Amino acid sequence: MSSFIRFFTSVKVAITLIIILTVASIIGTLIPQGRSHQEYWLHYGQLANLLEKLQLTRLYHSFWYLALLLLFSLNLIICTLVRLRPKLKRALRPFLDFKPNELVALRFHHQFNLSLPLTSAHQKAKEILKDHHYRFREKDDEKGVKIAARKRIFGIFGSDVVHLAILTILAGGLLSGLVSFRTDLALHPKQTVAVPQAGFSVRLDSFETEFYPNGQVKDWKSTLTIVEKDKEILTKTIEVNHPLNYQGFMFYQSAYGWDWDQASLQILIKQASGQAEEKVVKIKVGEKMALEDGVEIEALRFLPDFVLDENRQPSTRSLEPNNPAALVKVTRSGESLFSGWLFARFPDFSRLHPGSSSALTLELKGYSGSQYSVIHVSRDPGTWLIWVGCFLIMLGLGLAFYWPTYEIRIWLQEEAGKTTIVAGGLATKNRENFAQELETIISSLRKKK
Amino acid sequence: MKEATLFPLAFIIYIISAILYFASNFTRREKLAAHGSWLALLGFLVHNLALILRTIETSHAPFTNMYESLSFLAWSMVLALLIIEKKFKVYRLSAYLMLIVIALFALASSPLMPKEATPLVPALQSYWLWLHVSVTLVGEAFFAIAFIASLLYLLAERKQKPGEQLSLALSPEKLDSLSYRAVAIGFPLFTLGGLVFGMVWANVAWGSYWSWDPKEVWSLITWFVFALYLHTRLVMGWKGRRSALIAIIGFLAALFTYFGVNYLISGLHSYA
Repeated sequence: MSSFIRFFTSVKVAITLIIILTVASIIGTLIPQGRSHQEYWLHYGQLANLLEKLQLTRLYHSFWYLALLLLFSLNLIICTLVRLRPKLKRALRPFLDFKPNELVALRFHHQFNLSLPLTSAHQKAKEILKDHHYRFREKDDEKGVKIAARKRIFGIFGSDVVHLAILTILAGGLLSGLVSFRTDLALHPKQTVAVPQAGFSVRLDSFETEFYPNGQVKDWKSTLTIVEKDKEILTKTIEVNHPLNYQGFMFYQSAYGWDWDQASLQILIKQASGQAEEKVVKIKVGEKMALEDGVEIEALRFLPDFVLDENRQPSTRSLEPNNPAALVKVTRSGESLFSGWLFARFPDFSRLHPGSSSALTLELKGYSGSQYSVIHVSRDPGTWLIWVGCFLIMLGLGLAFYWPTYEIRIWLQEEAGKTTIVAGGLATKNRENFAQELETIISSLRKKK
Repeated sequence: MKEATLFPLAFIIYIISAILYFASNFTRREKLAAHGSWLALLGFLVHNLALILRTIETSHAPFTNMYESLSFLAWSMVLALLIIEKKFKVYRLSAYLMLIVIALFALASSPLMPKEATPLVPALQSYWLWLHVSVTLVGEAFFAIAFIASLLYLLAERKQKPGEQLSLALSPEKLDSLSYRAVAIGFPLFTLGGLVFGMVWANVAWGSYWSWDPKEVWSLITWFVFALYLHTRLVMGWKGRRSALIAIIGFLAALFTYFGVNYLISGLHSYA
């Protein structure tokens, strides 16, 4: 067990793990993630099976990537704890058992005599240290006095706080992965839907798309009302970047869509022969409607963005009404008068394609589907851990880089009414600055009043 | 006055500034670099004005398309350069940094970059746009300083013969320490702007603080590289060449996060 821990205390292991994680993460950006098997097959051929078996196609959620993160966390915990103990000791019990020759061995040190008795020299040293905002402890020994002074001691914990922050963020990620709940709700105006896993419902009061003068979409806005036990709790208009938060559930404006399943169509019917009789019929997709003389019209399908797919079958490229087309059938007592696609953008199409010619000419004059709003709902208890981690990481980086700990150890010894002083200093960061400060402290100590 | 006239003006001032910096490096006359620095400051002020005008003209943050974002990255680099000059009293890096600034300007001015302002798509309409992009790019500008210092370190180290005192103004040790000091500024800024603000904004806009989007992953990779830089240096005592190499890789990763991901990998960050 102890050798196991010793292995994980090594910084080299930490560095190796970071390198492996980095390389793995790079691979994950080179292979598109989370696509369908067909797409991988098209792109990589035989290789696709191997990629999928190695979980390289869902790399960041793969077993081995998570295992790496776990090892990394373990390493981080052990490395931090092992280094924390001496640091805590250093912070809680300032080191006073130093010898003069140890002070001289420090990178910044001074040695000189002061023509003052020990008590006054000691007093003077304390005052100067106070002026420079040092806190200190003292210890008398048989020949003189020792002072251990320091400031900004929290600086030494900067890296530990960063490590704790990373662990907090990883814990948040783990919590999110395990218990977060997400779903998309497609809501039509005036529709109320029970929010899954919540004791309340949400109603879409209205949905609108705002446009810039150039026609580009400016924003999507959904006015939502939270309904709990038939009582309206609150109403808020959400838009992109402005979600609604209720009882830990977040409601995001995520997308919108067109519902064409029940599209209402307006079809112009012209008699080809005799007097040009025109008539506009309003019909919904899936409906059959009787006209005069036993003529019946039926709207079979509607495609908003008509295209022929690879099998030459009618299909739709998107849900945007870019090329609206309706499949319509007209019969008289069972005998077909017209059967075919009508294109709103190309009204002449049915006339130019005599395959469907008949005594009738039809045109698709109007169509309307309903627009719905897609609301992304999430409840993610991991999120607050992430924010705690973010706060800690900035605090830790601030401490580590910009809160340098300075330590000064001074040894004063009386010899025949004079005082011999040995002073040594340590700084975690910003050493040039510290050297200067130590210089200032020493020179004011040497100054004769 | 329009942004379209101030932008080339700043460009010209930066070019003259770079010429002065280089002249100073080659003739070893500190005075020329001081003039170059004044011009860099002047160019910076003009550039500031250009960015303010751009903000007014487009009525959104001046970094929503590639042209604007290149201009803002160049601005961040000049800002970083002026800070480093003021803080460490060194001019030798400035010439090379100005070269990057000029390259960014040239790229932004190229006819391939659409310059016309387009209204903001819904996802970008947030004050987090300001915080996320500006802090990240300023952080990356300090990585650029570390990059230049590290490159110069590698050159200086190669030139230096044992026991010989270098005639150059900056010793390899000084370059090595400058590189670290730049990372010490850039790393917290990049963490705050790129990762923290990025996660906060993603949570508000996309409904999730982390989506493993390629740009997110690449910013994490950049963060990992600089974490390696710090650990090898502070814990394992690596200095000099190996440290310089990691800083160079780190900047290239940051550059790829900023630039490469947009063109080579598709993802959620498709608009920037």
